[in-house]
Amino acid sequence: MKTLIQRNIPTYLVALLVIVSINFVLPRMMPGDPLMAIYGEEALVAMTPELKAFLLRSFALDRPLWQQFLVYLGQTFQGNLGFSYYHSAPTFEVILGRLPWTLLLVGTALILSTGLGVILGIESGWRRGRSLDRTILSGLMALSGFPDFFLAMVLLLVFGVFLKLLPLSGSLTPYSGLSGFALALDVLRHLILPVSALTLGHVAGNYLLTRSTMVTVIKEPFVRVARAKGLPDRIVQYRHAGRNALLPVVTRTGIWLGRIVTGTLFVEVIFAYPGLGSLTYQALLTRDYAVLQGVLLLVAVLVLVANFCADLACARMDPRIQHAY
Amino acid sequence: MLEVRNLTVTYGSDQVLAGVDLDLPAGDSLVLVGESGTGKTTLGLAIMGLCEGTVNGSILFKGKNLLRLDREALRQIQGNRIAMVFQNVNQVLDPVYRIIDQVIEPVLAHGSQSREQARLRATEILAEVGLSPDRSVLYPHQLSGGEQQRVLLATALINEPDLLILDEPLAAIDASARVEIMALLRGLNRKRDTTLLTFTHDVGMAVKIADRMGSLYAGRIVELGESEPVLVEPKHPYTRALIRSYPNMTTSKDLQGIKGRLTRPVTGCPFHTRCTQAIDICRLETPPLTDHQERLLACHRGGVIPLMRTVGLTKRFGDSVAVDSVDITIHGGETLSLVGPSGAGKTTLARMLMGLLEPTDGTVYLENQETKVDDGFYRRVQMVFQNPGESLSHRMTVLELVREPLDVQRICSRQAAENRTVRAIEEVQLPVNGDFLTTYPHHLSGGELQRVAIARALVLDPDLLIADEPTSALDSSVQAKILRLLLSLQESRGLSMLFITHDIALARKISDRMAVMIGGRIVEEGPVNTILGSPKTAYTKALIESASSLQKDAKNIP
Amino acid sequence: MHISIRGQFRTNRFGQAGVVILLIMAALALLSPVLAVDDPNHQTHEAFEPPSLAHILGTNHVGQDNWSRLLHGARTSLLVGFFAASAATLIGLIVGGSCALRGGIYDAVVMRFVDALLIIPAVIVLILVAAYVNPRLPLLIVLISLLSWSGGARIVRAQTLSLKERSHIAAARTFGGHGWYVMHRHIVPDLGPILVVEFIHSFRRAVFMEAGLAFLGIGDPTTVSWGSIMKNAVDYSYMGVWGWWLVPAGLALSLTILSLTFIGHTLEPMMEPRLMEEAVA
Repeated sequence: MKTLIQRNIPTYLVALLVIVSINFVLPRMMPGDPLMAIYGEEALVAMTPELKAFLLRSFALDRPLWQQFLVYLGQTFQGNLGFSYYHSAPTFEVILGRLPWTLLLVGTALILSTGLGVILGIESGWRRGRSLDRTILSGLMALSGFPDFFLAMVLLLVFGVFLKLLPLSGSLTPYSGLSGFALALDVLRHLILPVSALTLGHVAGNYLLTRSTMVTVIKEPFVRVARAKGLPDRIVQYRHAGRNALLPVVTRTGIWLGRIVTGTLFVEVIFAYPGLGSLTYQALLTRDYAVLQGVLLLVAVLVLVANFCADLACARMDPRIQHAY
Repeated sequence: MLEVRNLTVTYGSDQVLAGVDLDLPAGDSLVLVGESGTGKTTLGLAIMGLCEGTVNGSILFKGKNLLRLDREALRQIQGNRIAMVFQNVNQVLDPVYRIIDQVIEPVLAHGSQSREQARLRATEILAEVGLSPDRSVLYPHQLSGGEQQRVLLATALINEPDLLILDEPLAAIDASARVEIMALLRGLNRKRDTTLLTFTHDVGMAVKIADRMGSLYAGRIVELGESEPVLVEPKHPYTRALIRSYPNMTTSKDLQGIKGRLTRPVTGCPFHTRCTQAIDICRLETPPLTDHQERLLACHRGGVIPLMRTVGLTKRFGDSVAVDSVDITIHGGETLSLVGPSGAGKTTLARMLMGLLEPTDGTVYLENQETKVDDGFYRRVQMVFQNPGESLSHRMTVLELVREPLDVQRICSRQAAENRTVRAIEEVQLPVNGDFLTTYPHHLSGGELQRVAIARALVLDPDLLIADEPTSALDSSVQAKILRLLLSLQESRGLSMLFITHDIALARKISDRMAVMIGGRIVEEGPVNTILGSPKTAYTKALIESASSLQKDAKNIP
Repeated sequence: MHISIRGQFRTNRFGQAGVVILLIMAALALLSPVLAVDDPNHQTHEAFEPPSLAHILGTNHVGQDNWSRLLHGARTSLLVGFFAASAATLIGLIVGGSCALRGGIYDAVVMRFVDALLIIPAVIVLILVAAYVNPRLPLLIVLISLLSWSGGARIVRAQTLSLKERSHIAAARTFGGHGWYVMHRHIVPDLGPILVVEFIHSFRRAVFMEAGLAFLGIGDPTTVSWGSIMKNAVDYSYMGVWGWWLVPAGLALSLTILSLTFIGHTLEPMMEPRLMEEAVA
């Protein structure tokens, strides 16, 4: 178990390093004043000369590149991600403020798409070739072509505009003054469409993986032995075959998360959901580089943490890893 | 308990079981032997209701047809009244659950016991099969192959099934543990009256745990009877060949294989392409499994046939009786050795069988017909003499010598004769280049000469080869090679052999059955083991005692 | 490994559908100058027009013909997809192959890097970079390929490692072939099926990424893209014109991705001969 984790930690560190390096290098690669590249033209115009000098020193822009990098690393680890002129607040705070909504969205979508994908995959794999399998397979294959942002648009139009069943945007009804259960319900109403878009957009990947693993697992001798014990079909299907089919899915959870996060970006834009996605879009429009870099860093950290957790889960789930010979 | 009728199992276009009939009374222990691909596992799976192919026929378990039961009714029986111990392969246990959790599953699925009760029971059973409690909380990958096999056994036994099906249960278990487990199985059968149905290719195990034994070939049962008789005197050519090919401490004859390989589908008898005694009908019709004197046999010819038989064969030279009322039988595809001291009349007997000497009395039968010594006879029976230097003419080259029978009988064209000759010479592992073929006998060694003689005997494709002390004139290392050659020829051609020798140790290595001849009479005849293990006459005992043994003290060689 | 690509398609309905759709898209893209009724950038005065004879799919918010824009969007998507995928597959082949053949520290270090790239969500990096660089189409292709080659590299490395052990490779080495010779004469041909599958996957990802970036407004502003069409359409969805503005673009994008998914799924068994027998219709 230790070795699995040990094997992957260097990778995560390298990934982190790559992100930080990208963040570091990009503004300094741009022609012209690096400070402008970091803060954007408009921000620079508003700065006083003293402020500029201060910033120059704090970024160590007058010193050699490698020293700048070290300074930058230091700042990043201390949580100093720069200052967003657009929001007039430190980037870190801005991002943190938006994070919870995105986490809600991503978390729910991850759980739903994984859960749904796995269950459908197990059912499908168990009945490989028969009519239920063919139906689900065709359906999900067809679904897999649609990018999540298109699905989001369609859902918005159908349920929001056409049928007027669900709200068009935001995560809450503004100025409603709701609290407690009513508030939770309101949040839920606003959550349904974005989460559905994300879930539908990503369930196919999970499903296909689970299904093909299931097909392989069913052929293993222990499944036949389980049936010979006279165990009910459901138990053989889930407790034995399904459980074993789960392992590759858990391994991939980190990657799924990366994709869902990417999708969340677009979905938030479409639904004007006040999370990191809308923040990013806003930052794009105003070229608020500090925020963009901050978001990239945070998202990368999130994904790496998720991968790490997936590694842990995997190790725990597979006794062959946990209790090696 | 179990009645199987005309069970056929097909996977797509492959027919794996082609009409199996089986009767298993309660408390019986039946072992079916057969090699891979013969359908053993499929039969077990079909009885368990786990077969994925198309199943036809009927399987009656305590009167109920298992093939007609609905899913739930079948499930109640599986793992409960009928259980199966599977072959131990990789991933035969679920890798993500502990052993004990897997063993309690059948209990929880079929009873109303609580989890703790089930665990207690599981621990009990595991102990019975030899797995201690601290091993049973481990995961499958932490166990050895033998331990995994025991877990499978425990899982099958835990609900005390009425019928236990075992598929190669001892494959992964080491020698010392085998005894334990076989004792356990026997105990189950005798004390708890569990009916056992075992599939294996391990003939040795079969005899230890079975009351009855049968052989399965190409999806059909070809022989079935009480284990000891079947083992000692197998009637079906396949059973005989199987036993011959299996290394064990009892059979002393060298291992022989079966020519050809398993192919299907095959019209007629499934074994006919590899059989030593197939005739036309074997190619065309499938023999049914019928009763042949307390044994079930599926053979058109009623089992291994007596190829040559003598009744009261006698030869007198004036007043002295050289051969006195001899009754011997040489079966198809087997080697019968005729052992006895010089002057016993062996060669005389041989000559009479070959038609070189007129018998004074008695008859010789070739496949139940009185022999007429003519060309046809010689196409079926041939002889190899003791001294090749004498039996081969000095005037002819190797090619001419071997071809001579064909020339004399004129059964085929010159060219065809040449081809057959060359093939025969190849079969005896001699070179077939021009130089060698035009050599004269005096240039050849003793061993080479004898091979030429054998080739000559083979060129007419005989069924029976009478070999009169074929190796006594040769050095022992050469002798060994010639014997190996004869054995391999028997395997590839399905030859029967009458092997005459005075050396009992030699006879032991080459023959299935033995006849001891003294003073013109046959004093003992039977399977080699039986004679050597329990010799009836003083002479035989003396023969055994004086036989070459590499041990210091003269001992009885069983 | 004589695996026939044609053979896979003959029996698989999904695969056949995929190929057909892709070919249609390609045809549309290629023939766009001919089929397009109007210059896609030409702004007429009739904005938000419903479909008519002059404008089959109506016009958008600045009066441009939707049908023409749709066709040119096809061009963009397929172009970017194809070239980005080719570049990504090539880089993956070189990196993966060299790692497998060299081994040692080179392998260890480079594979860490590859794994790291795999985990990082490419789109977000792309967004950041595009925000700085404002890429035109060629640069976009380069950027996309730089962020998507790592998956292929991993697979190529794994396969090369197993191929390396096979005797015909060893034989080639015994008569002096080494490094690149072995790679291109013996290994690459056997890698063929895998490279094809990887190419299809990369193609799909590239199409998706290009559309996504265009949707966010950071693609190439001078080219027409389905993504930007969709973005504009969504902004004006309350106008009720989305039926012929948003939906065709979205459908076209989805169908293209779908066709690639189908083709990829059909070809996947080629990567694992064991799955071949179980290939699903």
